[in-house]
Amino acid sequence: MVFVLVTIETRLYRHECYACFWFTANVPEFGTMGIFQKLVQFLGVRKREVNVLVVGLNNSGKSTVVNRFKNQDERVTEIVPTVGFAVERFQNQNLAFTAFDMSGHGRYRDLWEHYYKDCNGIIFVIDSSDRLRLVVVKEELDLLLQHPDICNRRLPILFFANKMDCKEALSSVKIAAALGLDKIMDKPWHISASNALTGEGLQEGVEWMTQQIRDIILAKGS
Amino acid sequence: MNSFKRDKKEEEDGGSQFLNLEKTTVLQEARIFNETSVNPRKCTPVLTKLLYAINQGETLSPKEATDVFFAMTKLFQSKDAVLRRMVYLGIKELSSIAEDVIIVTSSLTKDMTGKEDTYRAAAIRALCSITDATMLQAIERYMKQAIVDRNPAVSSAALVSSLHMSKLAPDVVKRWVNEAQEAVNSDNIMVQYHALGLLYHIRKSDRLAVTKLVARLTRMSLKSPYAVCMLIRITAKLLEEDDEAGGNDSPYFSFIESCLRHKSEMVVYEAAHAIVNLKRTTSRELVPALSVLQLFCGSAKATLRFAAVRTLNQVAISHPAAVTACNLDLENLITDSNRSIATLAITTLLKTGAESSVDRLMKQIATFVSEISDEFKVIVVQAIRALALKFPRKHNVLMNFLSAMLRDEGGLEYKASIADTIITIIEDNPEAKESGLAHLCEFIEDCEHVSLAVRILHLLGKEGPKTKQPSRYIRFIYNRVILECPSIRAAAVSAMAQFGASCPDLLENIQVLLARCQMDSDDEVRDRATYYSNILARQDKALCNSYILDPLQLSIMALERSLKEYLQNPEDRPFDIKSVPLASVPTPEEKEMKHKTEGMLVTQGGPVKPPPVSREENFAEKLSIIPGIQQLGPLFKSSDVVELTESETEYFVRCIKHSFNNHLVLQFDCLNTLSDQLLEQVRVQLEPSEGYRLLAEVPCPRLPYNESGSCYAVLQFPEDDLPNSVGTFGAVLKFVVKDCDPATGLPDTDEGYDDEYMLEDLEITLGDQIRRVTRANWAAAWEEAATAEYAEMEDTYSLSSMHTLEEAVQSIASFLGLQPAERTDRVPEGKTVHTLLLSGMFRGGADILVRAKLALTDGVTMQLTVRSPDPAIAELITSAVG
Repeated sequence: MVFVLVTIETRLYRHECYACFWFTANVPEFGTMGIFQKLVQFLGVRKREVNVLVVGLNNSGKSTVVNRFKNQDERVTEIVPTVGFAVERFQNQNLAFTAFDMSGHGRYRDLWEHYYKDCNGIIFVIDSSDRLRLVVVKEELDLLLQHPDICNRRLPILFFANKMDCKEALSSVKIAAALGLDKIMDKPWHISASNALTGEGLQEGVEWMTQQIRDIILAKGS
Repeated sequence: MNSFKRDKKEEEDGGSQFLNLEKTTVLQEARIFNETSVNPRKCTPVLTKLLYAINQGETLSPKEATDVFFAMTKLFQSKDAVLRRMVYLGIKELSSIAEDVIIVTSSLTKDMTGKEDTYRAAAIRALCSITDATMLQAIERYMKQAIVDRNPAVSSAALVSSLHMSKLAPDVVKRWVNEAQEAVNSDNIMVQYHALGLLYHIRKSDRLAVTKLVARLTRMSLKSPYAVCMLIRITAKLLEEDDEAGGNDSPYFSFIESCLRHKSEMVVYEAAHAIVNLKRTTSRELVPALSVLQLFCGSAKATLRFAAVRTLNQVAISHPAAVTACNLDLENLITDSNRSIATLAITTLLKTGAESSVDRLMKQIATFVSEISDEFKVIVVQAIRALALKFPRKHNVLMNFLSAMLRDEGGLEYKASIADTIITIIEDNPEAKESGLAHLCEFIEDCEHVSLAVRILHLLGKEGPKTKQPSRYIRFIYNRVILECPSIRAAAVSAMAQFGASCPDLLENIQVLLARCQMDSDDEVRDRATYYSNILARQDKALCNSYILDPLQLSIMALERSLKEYLQNPEDRPFDIKSVPLASVPTPEEKEMKHKTEGMLVTQGGPVKPPPVSREENFAEKLSIIPGIQQLGPLFKSSDVVELTESETEYFVRCIKHSFNNHLVLQFDCLNTLSDQLLEQVRVQLEPSEGYRLLAEVPCPRLPYNESGSCYAVLQFPEDDLPNSVGTFGAVLKFVVKDCDPATGLPDTDEGYDDEYMLEDLEITLGDQIRRVTRANWAAAWEEAATAEYAEMEDTYSLSSMHTLEEAVQSIASFLGLQPAERTDRVPEGKTVHTLLLSGMFRGGADILVRAKLALTDGVTMQLTVRSPDPAIAELITSAVG
């Protein structure tokens, strides 16, 4: 039943209907696919590919976080400010992530929205030691949540309260309160304190994210 | 593999998927880029289609381009090498249209520093296409690394991209000089060449640095032949600029000469080419270069033969004697299977050959002239023109040959060049006139190019009446009236009228013909016929002179503009034709330019230039900013630029003198060369000579560093006192100085202080008040002046400082600012007596006719006769010469 639905969607509503969007993406060669592949796909043996967007203010540690997710041998030793964006890939459990690591510099924040449309999850990195700019973070977050490509979708949002090792760092609870995360009703969200330099807290967050995406896909798939 | 199969299938379809591409469909298809997992097999063809559409001339709006650009950025997640390279191409193509293209900076820097070698060079090129001057600093570190990269493709890409970037941010690229320096030492031939290119580009404005660079590189032997060629060019440029380097002792010259023995043919040719093209090369220095070229003439490679013979062709103009040594080899090339080589060989021989060999060569050309393209035929024609000027006695052979060529098929450019050549020969060689005109007459009998026929008819009208038997041309001209299209008929009518006006015995017949023309179906033809017929019927010599033989000398564009203005602002008084500026006479430099291109291989092709606007009109527009300038009437004459300071001083001031009917406007162009000063209220204080009245001054409000501004002074010429209009003015530059910060150009304080700067004296000469006028028929005007009771002044002078007639002719014409008429500016060789005829117009519109009889004795003796309606003007001219 699902397959029939998908074929119709790809033809007519590919860009309007997000419910089926992941399927069109996950099943690229739908029409030509052999019966064996269909079976594999259905059983979830084959890796699913998802896109996540990594956003946050400049110097909050986005590239460092993404760098941590990669395999040991692929990591870069030196992180420089991102100009524009960078594409990185990593895996968690059975899910292949393509992370769009956006530049957080003021000049480039307007460009995030170009990538909202086709992401399956958002990772929002916050520098928890930077109390001063917490209002800026809130502003950017509100803008993001109100964007037409985001507001009506059930997208999981993962917050990293990064730089937890810093002395003046705020706790994740305080940050959640300051950003008013409790007001987000229609999207699953999760905040975890992290230290991207050591990798502390990252795994917990990304596992939550994986689980959420998997749930959503399964929910749509059944 | 799979995609390869698909390609094959497409090929069988004839690549039809690229035909009739719709922009909107392609953009629609490009949405596939947004899918979560990228399918390279689908995306690559879509991207190809997009690039194809753009290159076919489809234009994307910034919005569309930005959308598709951002969609394309998502393709970076795919690892497919083919797709990635298409993305690089896409980025480069869209970088100029889309907004926010810097979004891919990090992705590209990642590729450019990554492990994948196939990506790196292309990523550098794409990165440089999206980077602007402000962003360049962010990637500077990577560029520096890339320049010295071990991979030659990466290094070359970085070097060439840097060269492009230096247009945007020269200062940043200048900092990469050390890396470029290192890359010059590379073993790869391309890298070395590109590195030298960049290094030279960075340093080219600094003469000392270039000298050092050349000195260092000429000592070490460069591996890359391309780099050596480049070095030869730099060295040759250095030699050319630097006259003091001194003869063949110069190390530069000996370097170029040593390159003649290089093992690469390319380098050898480049060196020979450089030596040949050096302005100061003497024939002795030419010898080794020519012997190399001679060797190339016998090469098995057609390109080498072509290069050699082409260069020899060029040398033949400047050093015909030196090329004679190669004549034997060139003779062999005449039969070369490559027609281009054969043509160049033969035209070279024509330039160098002796008079005796002309006949033989012309026969040779005739055998293959029908087989070569128009472009080369034009070269042959130009060679013939040069030959005709060199050996006037051979005009018969050449003229016959040209007329045979005229009868062949050919395009307008080719035919026009033949007609031009015949006209040049006619003008230059009186003996050839009759036969040349006869050939042209025959040609217009069967000529499909309207513009050419009109030109030839005009020439016949001008030259025909002066021949022994004017009547024989009438038949040819009248035939045109019967057979051709309206514009040619009209030209034929005008030509006939010329005969009627100059040959009284033909007048009766002409009147009959003109009467017939009045029945023509075309308005223009009828109008002309009626007009001429009426004037001729009056039998009034003066009327004929001013309306048929010597028509209006107005600048057509200015006339059009004035008439338009007149129609837009209707006034009661009639249109005053005197208010229209006269047509400008082509300056000697322009003629020089035309002369220089003669006989060169490359003719100035390309789009036809719009008719040049005269200098006066340009200035008139510029001067219109001065308040009240309209009251002065039309601009009469603008002088050449006079420098009032040395060019390298603190303030550089130049002056242009604009004369009006009764006023003189001085335009001072000032340039501030001091970086720590801001000048305000810049003006030139004048001490006018007696009789002049200073009416107004327009200062230049601000003059920042390295910018030029203009200030003006308006004066009135001395009234009723012509002799005093020639004078010398003292001049001082006055201004307010504000010291400022050299970096920002902002003044330190608001308070400035007055300062002044002495300028050289400014001379107002006779020439400033006279405009050149070309008279087609000077003699008629001169006679007319006698009957119209013009004032005549005559005086005899001894010009002791002149030693040749040419010198005297040149200096008289330029001193008086008059236009030589009837080619009297050319003094036939070996003569000791010459008559110079000059014409012009004084401000206010009075004609000036001058006859100067010159005789060469010890110095030059001159009898000057001036005719002008105003006795004061005539007197002024005779007194000014003394």
